[in-house]
Amino acid sequence: MLKYIAIRVAQIIFTFFVFLTLIFFLLNAQPGSSLIDQFTDPNMTAEMRQAIAKSFGLDKPLHEQYLIYLGNFLTGNLGVSFSNYPRPVIEIIFERAPRTLILFLSSTTLAFTIGFTMGKILAWRRGKVTEYVATIGGVTLYTIFLPWFGLMMIWFFAFILGWFPLGKFLDPVLWRGAPFNSDVIFGQMLTTASAVVVALFIVYFISRRLDPIRRQPTQIGGALVIGAAVLAVWIPHPAARYALDILHHLILPIATLATVSFAGSMLLTRNSMLETLREDFVMAARAKGLPDNVVRDKHAARNAMLPVVTAFVFGLALAIDGGVVTETIFSWPGMGQTLLQAVSRKDIPLAIGGLIFGGSLALTAHLIADILYAYLDPRIRYS
Amino acid sequence: MTQPILSVQNLTMHYATRKGDVSAVDDVSFDVMQGDALGLVGESGCGKSSIANCLLRLLPENARILQGAVRLDGANLTTLPEDQMRAYRWKRIAMVFQAAMNTLDPVYRVGDQIIEALHTHIETMTNAEARERVAELFKIVGLDPALMDRYPHEYSGGMRQRAVIAMALSCNPDVIIADEPTTALDVIVQDKLLREMCNIQKTLGMGMIYISHDIAVIAEVSNRMGVMYAGRLVELADTADIFARPQHPYTYALMSAFPSITGPKRELTTLPGEPPDLLNPPPGCRFHPRCPRATSVCARDVPAFKAMDARHSVACWHPVEG
Amino acid sequence: MTDSISTTQSLSRESGVELDLLAREERITPVPLWRVRVKLWWRSARQNAAIFADNKIGLLGLAIILLFGVMALAHPILMATVWDARTYDPITGYSFDELRQPAPPSARHLLGTDPLGRDVLSQLMYSTRNEFILGLLAALITVTIATTIGATTAYFGGVYDMIFMRVADLIIMTPAISLLIVMCALFNPDLPQLAVVIGILSGFGGTTIIIKSQALSIRVKPFIEAAKVAGGGHRHIIMTHILPNLLPFSFLYMMFGVTAAIFSEATLSFFGLLNVRMSWGIMIFTAQAAGYLLSGVEYWWLLIPAGASITLLCSAFYLVGRALDEVVNPRLRKR
Repeated sequence: MLKYIAIRVAQIIFTFFVFLTLIFFLLNAQPGSSLIDQFTDPNMTAEMRQAIAKSFGLDKPLHEQYLIYLGNFLTGNLGVSFSNYPRPVIEIIFERAPRTLILFLSSTTLAFTIGFTMGKILAWRRGKVTEYVATIGGVTLYTIFLPWFGLMMIWFFAFILGWFPLGKFLDPVLWRGAPFNSDVIFGQMLTTASAVVVALFIVYFISRRLDPIRRQPTQIGGALVIGAAVLAVWIPHPAARYALDILHHLILPIATLATVSFAGSMLLTRNSMLETLREDFVMAARAKGLPDNVVRDKHAARNAMLPVVTAFVFGLALAIDGGVVTETIFSWPGMGQTLLQAVSRKDIPLAIGGLIFGGSLALTAHLIADILYAYLDPRIRYS
Repeated sequence: MTQPILSVQNLTMHYATRKGDVSAVDDVSFDVMQGDALGLVGESGCGKSSIANCLLRLLPENARILQGAVRLDGANLTTLPEDQMRAYRWKRIAMVFQAAMNTLDPVYRVGDQIIEALHTHIETMTNAEARERVAELFKIVGLDPALMDRYPHEYSGGMRQRAVIAMALSCNPDVIIADEPTTALDVIVQDKLLREMCNIQKTLGMGMIYISHDIAVIAEVSNRMGVMYAGRLVELADTADIFARPQHPYTYALMSAFPSITGPKRELTTLPGEPPDLLNPPPGCRFHPRCPRATSVCARDVPAFKAMDARHSVACWHPVEG
Repeated sequence: MTDSISTTQSLSRESGVELDLLAREERITPVPLWRVRVKLWWRSARQNAAIFADNKIGLLGLAIILLFGVMALAHPILMATVWDARTYDPITGYSFDELRQPAPPSARHLLGTDPLGRDVLSQLMYSTRNEFILGLLAALITVTIATTIGATTAYFGGVYDMIFMRVADLIIMTPAISLLIVMCALFNPDLPQLAVVIGILSGFGGTTIIIKSQALSIRVKPFIEAAKVAGGGHRHIIMTHILPNLLPFSFLYMMFGVTAAIFSEATLSFFGLLNVRMSWGIMIFTAQAAGYLLSGVEYWWLLIPAGASITLLCSAFYLVGRALDEVVNPRLRKR
């Protein structure tokens, strides 16, 4: 297992450097060849140009430029944003990345969970009508034009029904004069969320080792205690109202992104599950007298999940792209929106920074999913 | 000894297909006594495995049990509600499947899969007790108890087969159904396992139904045997008796197709024709188109399954005289 | 997996064997070989069409594609006959009859006009042709690259295989649209250029991996070994034995490729990053830029036709792909 992880980590790091290299050559392959010519921002002064040219070693030969570029990257120097002069790109990434992360993580988790659950139920109770509805509905959602769908969601849920805000990260009226920094509050919310996830996993793993009659009480009790702890921390919290505002802004983008991406997992789970149901071990599980839901979830779905996870891993990069579009539609100030703003303002260093962020996110997610897969399939873990 | 532990009465089951009903099991009756090893033999597609699936009621969606009863302790398993049926599976009737290689779920440890069965039927059992029981079962089937924490893909074919047998034994069932459990193994391992299975069955005194297309295997494991043809049971008797005096022409033909090493030298005969299409089984006796002794009555009326003596029954209008 | 493929392969292989036999008999019988080939091809085409037609959802997809095809073809005809260019030109036209732009649907403008006074239906139909050209061109490039690399990497293996698989891994892990956004900002490509970039990206990426896995299962078939024993060269084996069996899969992934390409183009032009004068994405971009985003039902003709067209055409190709999948992968068929 450790060896497997080590190999994967090494591969991912290598891939990442290839990715960096490609971006470098992409920048140099453009017409006019020199990077500096592209920086046509009218606000840019001659000193700025020179400073940038120097930090990128633009007066030196290409291979030296490449080494400087790599060295800059390793020391966290991704240049200075033109449109936010003189803020360094890395600082902007650190500020906005958590917002993208939470959008990406919660929508992919949600999409996978919903897609997997629905796919497994569809396969378990087959019927002509549900099959047609699920296939057509699934394919439509899967191929729907995301920017348009996002607009429709905003129009319907925010504009017509008024359930959610029209976009953005927070309500500027509410936060005007608020005694808190939104990033700090958001950070605390993220910490809480991670702590809850970790705690739930711990409860789950402890309960699995218990005797069967004590398993369920432990799980329910544990979940209750965790829930109570979260409430105990946040209800008396002075910024609770502001945190709720951020949450309120989060719901619609997450729902939009999850809606367009769950269908793929659903259709695939259904196919994979239909195949697994014909396996002998599913028959054996029924013969053992296990209840139907245990046969379905613990044996059939658990095995049917493996190819779905593989496809899900392949779809991670797509989900990041979906995040870029969703953020832009919802004016969600994360890295996706930053990327598009940078592009439209010709802020090349920031755009490259956004691209590198997207790439690293994809690679990291890939690595985690690979490790998760090895955990799910003992045949990979022990070979 | 007088009361059968499992009694199958007039069991009839059809598969509904797009082309029509397939009459897979037709009016089959037999009893299994305490300590009995009943062998069911027949060509592939004759309904042996369908009977096994009927007993546990593990049927595909298109299967219908049209009539008949499977009686265990006075309960009729064919009409029991699904949630009560679950309590009978494995605890009372366990099964060793045809493709035992694939009966183990690849993502769980072998021991845990047995513990799962134990926990399902004995809810109060603690983990420690369950592990102890698994170790005990592993010893019975000749596996190292240390292997219980390994995954199925780390086992060899023979080991998996043993583990599956251990799993079948786990809840001390009254009857074990073994559906060609050794076909995927090589002959040596097959033979060894067969002997061990017989020993275990005799030692534990449970009933066993052994299903195979291989009459030699049946001869080795069973003390009673039933011969099936095209969904019907055509002859049922003590194994030795059937080998000595086969009465149904089909059984007779099977015996003659089976060489004897110790007996006198004789010509091996083969049966002309093919088993019938069960979508459209022939009227009367289903064997009549291939039967050398058939007369007009055979093509018209279904022969009753009648007892020739206390332990020997045949369904034939013109049984071979013993 | 292998089972199902072996069934398909054995089908085509049988016909291959039959061909060989017939070829040998050719000296005796006067039936020319090409007629036998055509006959065999026709027979398998009819069988496959029957399987495809069995899938109602696939037929629905095909119908949608045909509908859009008719729209694309009708536009130049309409422009040449009924629609005068000054009013109906999708880019430079202006409807002088309407007092206020955007005007709601009327007999003159079936889908109304956009904020710049241009006929929406004309824009929609004009863009359809572009979408087809872009989608099919990109998919064709994708599949050509993926099939070539898939067949050769599966056949040769080794370092050659490893290099291309690592490249594919890298592309899979790259967020393609983000990359395209940056590339578009740098290079400002037009439609054919974009099609080439999309084609190359997905051709060296995921599609290669899928097609290679199919090619691998063909490579281990006995007839490949037989061809080697008979002294067939690498080129001969790849061209006459692996490729013909791989083409059905290539065709299948072409359908998915069209979906992906149209989707990418629409997204990029929605953000106004492409050097394209009119497309469905630009139609939504125009409506949004003019502030009709939240107009909802009131100005529905600005957002709904273009958005629905993108979704419909993308899902239509996807549905056809799924139905074709059942034709080439017997495993997926209904039991």
